[in-house]
Formats: sequence, structure tokens, C-alpha cells
Amino acid sequence: MKLSPLVRELTRLVGPDAVLWRPEDVMLYEYDALSCARQPQAVVFPISTEQVVALVKLAARENLPVVARGAGTGLSGGSVVTEGGIVLAFARMKKIVEIDLENLRARVQPGVVNLDLSFAVSDHGCYFAPDPSSQKACTIGGNVAENAGGPHTLAYGVTTNHVLGLEVVLPDGEVIHTGARFWDRSGYDLTGFVVGSEGTLGIMTEITVRLSRKPEAVKTLLAVYDRILDAPRTVAAITARRITPAALEMMDGFTLRAVEEAFHAGYPMDSAGVLLIEVEGMREAVEDSADQIEAVCRENNAREVRRAKTPEERDLLWRGRKSAFGALGRISPNYYVQDGVIPRTRLPEMLEFIGEVSQKQQLRIGNIFHAGDGNLHPLLMFDARDADQSKRVLKAAEAIMAKCVEMGGSLTGEHGVGIEKRDLMPLIFSDDDLEMMRKLKAVFNPQGRLNPGKLLPTSKMCGEVRAQFKTGGVL
Amino acid sequence: MTAATESAQAAFASILAPTHLVTDPAVCAGLSVDGKTPQCVVYPASAGEVAAVLRCAAEHDLAVIPCRNGTKLGVGNPPRRYDVALSLKDLNRVWHYEPGDLTITAEAGMKFGDFQHFVGREGLWLPLDPPGGARATLGGIVATNASGPLRLYFGAPRDMVLGMKIATTEGKVIKTGGRVVKNVAGYDTGKLLIGSYGSLGVIVEASFKLFPLPADRATFVLAAGKLGIARDLRRRILASPLTPMRMLLLDAGASRLAREGSPLARDAHGPEIWLEVGGSPRVIERCTMELEVLAKAAGALVARLKSEEAENLWNRLTDFRAWLRATFQRLVVLKATLPDMASEEFLSRVEQETQSDHIRSASFCQAGVGIVHVCLPGAESEEAAIPLIGRLRTAAQELGGALVIEDAHMDIKKKLDVWGPVGDDFAIMTKLKTLWDPKGILSPGRGVGGL
Repeated sequence: MKLSPLVRELTRLVGPDAVLWRPEDVMLYEYDALSCARQPQAVVFPISTEQVVALVKLAARENLPVVARGAGTGLSGGSVVTEGGIVLAFARMKKIVEIDLENLRARVQPGVVNLDLSFAVSDHGCYFAPDPSSQKACTIGGNVAENAGGPHTLAYGVTTNHVLGLEVVLPDGEVIHTGARFWDRSGYDLTGFVVGSEGTLGIMTEITVRLSRKPEAVKTLLAVYDRILDAPRTVAAITARRITPAALEMMDGFTLRAVEEAFHAGYPMDSAGVLLIEVEGMREAVEDSADQIEAVCRENNAREVRRAKTPEERDLLWRGRKSAFGALGRISPNYYVQDGVIPRTRLPEMLEFIGEVSQKQQLRIGNIFHAGDGNLHPLLMFDARDADQSKRVLKAAEAIMAKCVEMGGSLTGEHGVGIEKRDLMPLIFSDDDLEMMRKLKAVFNPQGRLNPGKLLPTSKMCGEVRAQFKTGGVL
Repeated sequence: MTAATESAQAAFASILAPTHLVTDPAVCAGLSVDGKTPQCVVYPASAGEVAAVLRCAAEHDLAVIPCRNGTKLGVGNPPRRYDVALSLKDLNRVWHYEPGDLTITAEAGMKFGDFQHFVGREGLWLPLDPPGGARATLGGIVATNASGPLRLYFGAPRDMVLGMKIATTEGKVIKTGGRVVKNVAGYDTGKLLIGSYGSLGVIVEASFKLFPLPADRATFVLAAGKLGIARDLRRRILASPLTPMRMLLLDAGASRLAREGSPLARDAHGPEIWLEVGGSPRVIERCTMELEVLAKAAGALVARLKSEEAENLWNRLTDFRAWLRATFQRLVVLKATLPDMASEEFLSRVEQETQSDHIRSASFCQAGVGIVHVCLPGAESEEAAIPLIGRLRTAAQELGGALVIEDAHMDIKKKLDVWGPVGDDFAIMTKLKTLWDPKGILSPGRGVGGL
């Protein structure tokens, strides 16, 4: 096959082993963990900021869209291509550039896998706090772009609370450095604004993060319920008692049976639901909180409250929790995971509502929540080959999202807007709000060539909900 | 009064209730900034009125500085111009309060003291100890990302704001974020406003996540005697399992000043570490024990303060500007932001530089955060202060940090940029300022690089 001028130019910039262009090669890059969109014209694997600059300048000359991609584990379509163009895949920029343990700072390239950073500093009693469930695979660049969360964000905050500075390549190839290694650099907090901007403002090439010290003690509790509604009631009661666990997760019986069958993590097969609760800190504080939490669980009809006795037992419980999406993938041809947020006191009401939706649309829905901060992940099971089921899934998802909004919540807690929710944005933002976002985007990305078709509604929707998912992918 | 101001005031009068537009020179003089006095003070009573006032000011090209109690008005370069003080005094309502969800939405003019009292009834707090203390307002705290030593454990307003409403110079009220504790829908526009010092838009309302008040608290003072001992002790504490809520390292000058006029004044001899822990009685007992061991190993003495005394002293320490300003006619306050472990090195540079100039100084170091406030109550003359500030800025930069002049007489500010040099992201900042405030009416000239 004859190389196109574009591929020849890309090859000249980064070398022949760092460019994919054959349809069978780039096909893999149509996907993320949510959906499938279009094929890029080429996927390139830069190795340095200089290469990224050269590639971005080339794209500017050729007027091509540029989409940055980490590990492709995103759940909102953030890293897939909507209009062709070049994918900048960061698989080769995975160097931990600097670790400064004294000052609890690390400087990393965007392709560093989340968990690899924690491993690198683990022997020194440190870790990187944001812990999305995909942390074994997902990259820190992706975490920053999506402002990723995870179970332990309840106590430690999301990615943005741990990022101090960024090196960003703007769409014209200019390189800027936002923030610093220290707090409160003079001027506007561009770092805070770029975090969570889903690759639409600039291409990150280096990230300065804050490391955390591991707590002295950790206790993991598993509360088992015979009636599912007792679990979210416990969550509300724990919050009301002013106890702040490090993590507070809920799984319903349906989900935990799938997890158990796949991973044998130690979840009781016959229960209606569980809470996985973790407390961290000084030994005495952890013991006090664990006792209080156990009492609250029992007051709210927990059948059993088990404490992980060994680190292995704890790891197993967490592995089960963090692999739950995969476990459900085993029992259903397709699933659609939602990411709504509601005030945590309204979890019982929401759970009942999801039950009604499930009945009405005749769909199985697994519930797995970061319950402590009111972040819901209902998983809607379906078979994409069945057009009617696919339609009902969209209706169910829409009903759940609308309920989140009605309860004063949000459309997404950690997965991002991406393609998935861009047209739902008018549900929570006014035209004026969205207009400001468009103008802000244009300051960084005036021609809209960086990750086009993401985050902002494609057309003015005036509050009308329209779910527009492409067929052929998961949906 | 110019014709433009006259017609603007007529326009303001059509937006606001008659008593909400004040032109009394005495009131205006009270809100002067760096020698410039506004021609009027407006007191909008709603978010919509704030937006209308801003649009009106933009139409008439009048420069506006948002304020309330003026606790942070000293921060910034001298304004290029200043016509209208926009007081948020009447925006002090709570819109949504969900104690069970640990969230609250309140208006920007609400005083921090009133706010803490309000949520304290449910055993909650917003764990901040900003300059201005109880007199500071929510909007001011957010707009300046104001924090104190509690940042060590809890973070800054940046980490606690869930969403906000912002009045723009276009006359609109826009929303960013939300009211729930986790939210990634849309750009995090609020981050741009946090720490923007009123130069982009006016924050009219903000939602926060709240925290449970600790069951018990205890304050310890560790007398280190020498900076080297303080440094050693601080490292030991940070590497220990202890999780202090706040830690403040006071150099000898600061520990003397902090107690001036109090019965404790004679106890202060050298650098000290003030530290507060919170938790159950068992946690506090353990901290007491561990601190004694750590202090002994480092060669320091530890004392626990009585709780009522402790609270007063913390308030005094975190609001040091207020009492220093009351005592000293001319005061310079510098804020150095550094890699944390460079703090003591910076403190000793401050000691050297000020001693060689015979200038009195007091430094407050937020241990574990990397922020050092240097107060120069003796910097009477600009001739002495300007070169000294320059040398301290160089010292901070050499140590990998930066230095901001937080408070100084305008004679000093006219000669030194208070924010320090700009970076390669300044072009983007300029474009953002132009987008939000195309006519340059909001705090003009006060920001970084003269924005």
C-alpha cells in the first residue's frame, strides 16, 4: 500500500515504528470502554514534548483534529475520534521524570499508569491518592483529563485535588507551563481549569502531582444486608453521625454474585447487598471509627459485619469491587454504566427508583455505588443485537439521569461528559453557562481541532433531552 | 464628579433601592485602595442586581472593586483606576443547607464567623482559618483562595468549593459546578475564579462541602529554641503517624509578637512549633505521648495549652495581619510559597537579610504546606524595604519557590510588582481576562502582570 503524504510526514517526525495507519491497525483505536466511533487517519506514539509539538504543528498545518489517548479505559467516549484526524497515543511517554519524597511531589509523563506511580513510591510509605477502578491500566494523563475519581476520593478528593502543575501543548504548538511545584502560584489557576477538560483545551505532556503518605492503620469492613434498602440507609446514618470513612462502597446482590462467581473475593452469595467500608488514619482513630461504623451498620439491620483480618483478605475484597464491571461483562453481552451523582441522603429513594425503572423497562440493572459521596454506577444489562432492548436501555438511562438532576445532583461524578453526555448538558446548565464554556474553550482551542465533538452540546438543545448514541458500539 | 459618573449613578439608582447607593465621602474613603477612593459604594441585594450593576459599570466604563469587610483589599497591585466599590454586604443568605449531606450553598457576602456559627450548631465546620478570621466573607475567601495553617490537613477553598454562581460584566449570572460532592460535568470554571481576586467576575454564591467538627482538640506548643531544632522536629512530626490538623512554625520574632500583651509573653524565647490535633480522647492521648517523645528526641520542650486560651491564640496567629496592622503604622507582609522542605532555609535567609538591615521581622511558616508569611513591622522606609523585598524574592526563587507582596504601602507597590514575574502561560491569562472583562473594569491593574 502506498503511504499517504500525511503518513509519510508523520513517519518523518516520529519514526516508522511509531505510526499506525493501516485500517486493521487503527481499528483498535476506534474504541474506549464506552463506545465506538470513527477510525482515525493515523495513530502516532510520540516520545517527547518536542515530538508532540511537531505533531500538533503538523495537524495545524493540515487542519486535522487531534485526539489525545492514554489507555482507552474511559467511560464517556473522551478518547475516541469523532471527525477523523490524528490520535496521539501516550503509551511511550510513560516515564516518571522525578520523585521528590521530601516534598511529596512527583513529575510524570502522561502515559504513566496510575498504579505504577504508587508502586514506585510505596517502599517509602507514599502513594498517589486518586484510585479509579481501572488503576492497573489507566494512565495519569487520562486521569487528569477526566478528573478521575475512585473509591477513596471520599476522604482524599478527586484527581484535581492532587495536581499542582502541567506542561500543556496548545493547538498551535505553543508550550505552556501552568501551576508550579508549590501551591498558590500568582495568577489564574489554569491547572485547575485544564484538569477535567477532557483533552479539549490542550495536550498535556507532563504532570506534577502531590504524593500522599500512607496512613498508619487501615481497617476494612464488610457489612452484609438481607434487605438492600438498609445499605443506603446505613450510608446516610454514617454521614449523619459525622464519621468520615476513607471509602464507602455499595454493591447489590445481583452485582456481588457476578463478582463472586468471577473472582471468589469472599462476598456472601445469598445477600441482598453489601457495604464495603474502609477507615484509615492513626491507629486509635481507625479503631474508634470502625467500632462506631459497626454499631451503625447493626442498628440498620446488617446481618453481619465482617472485618478483613489480613491484608490479603482486604486486597481480595477490593479486587472484587474494582473488577465488578468486568464481572458483569461475563454475564451480559453488553452493559451500559451510568455515572450520576445525588445528595447521599437520597440514596434509598434513588435505589427504589432504579428498581422501578428496571421493572418498567424490563432490564436487569446492577447497582454499584460510591455510596459515600452519592456517586451512582447503575449497570444496565442488555444485548446490543436486540434493537428494542437497546432502545429501552437508553430510556432507562435517561430516566435515571433525569432523576439525578431532579434531586439536585449531577450527570457525571467521575467518568466525564465526552460524547456520552454532551447533549444532556442543557439539563444542568443554562444557555448562558454553556456559552461561557464555549468561549473559554475558544481561548485555548480557537479552531476546535482538539478533541472535537466532546464535552459541549453539539447543538442548542434548550433543555430537551435527546440521547443520541451511535449503534454498532456498546450502544 | 464627571458627567459619566453622574449618568452611571443615575443608572445604578434605577437598579438599586435608594439606600443601596452611597456617595458619602466618609464611607467611600473607608474603602480606599492604595490611595484611590471610589466615588460611590453600591450594595446590591441579589445576584441579579450584582450582574446589573456590573453591566451598568461596563457600559459607563467605571472601574469596580468587589469587597465586603475589606480584609483582603490590601492584596494586589495599585489599581489603575477605581470608581465604584461593590459591597456584597447584603448578599448573606443561606440557600441550601443539607447537614445530612454535609453540603451548603450560601451567598458571598456572608461573614465567615456567622457561617461557622450556623453550621457549628450541627457539629459541622468549613475547616479554614483564613486571614480576616470571622470578619472575612465567603466570597472573599473563595475569590482569594484564602487559607491558613489548617490547609495542612484539610486543603484550601479550592478543595472545598463544589460550585458557584458568578455575576459577569456582561450582566449575566452564570453557574459552574453544582451542589453535590463529586461532579465533573463541564469545565471547572470555578477554579479560574478561585484565587482571581475579583478580576474576572463577581462570585455571588458558592456551595461547599462541610466537615464534621473534631470531637476533641488539643493545641501543643513546642519550644525549639533554635531554627535547626525546629526544622528537625518538624520533619520528625511529618514523618510520624500523627495527623495534625494544623502546624505553624513561628520564628523567634513571630513567637514574641504573637504573645505581646498576653500573659504568655515572657515564655517566648525562640522558634516554636504550634500544632493542633483533633479526634477522640484516645487519639489526643496518643498524640500527647508521641509529641513528648518526638520533642525530647529533637531537644525541644512541649506544653499543652488550655483549650479556651488555645482558641484565642490560634485566632490571633492566623489573623496576624489584623493585630500587626493595629500596632504598626507601616507594615509589609510577604508570602513565600516554597517546596515545603525549603521553608527553614528560607526562614534563616530572612533572618540574615533582615538582621543585616536592622529591620525587625516575624515569620509564620505553615509547616507541611510550604507557605511562609514574613512580616516586616519595622520596614518604615521604602528605601530600606524595597531592596530587602527584592533580596527575599530572589531567595525564594533560588529555593524553587516564589514570593508575593501581600501587604505594603503603595510607595513600595508602585516600584515592585506584588505578584512577581509572569510565566509562559501569561498570554492565556491575558486572553481569559479579556474574555471575562473586555473593558477592564474589574479591579483593573491589580492582578498578575498588571491585568
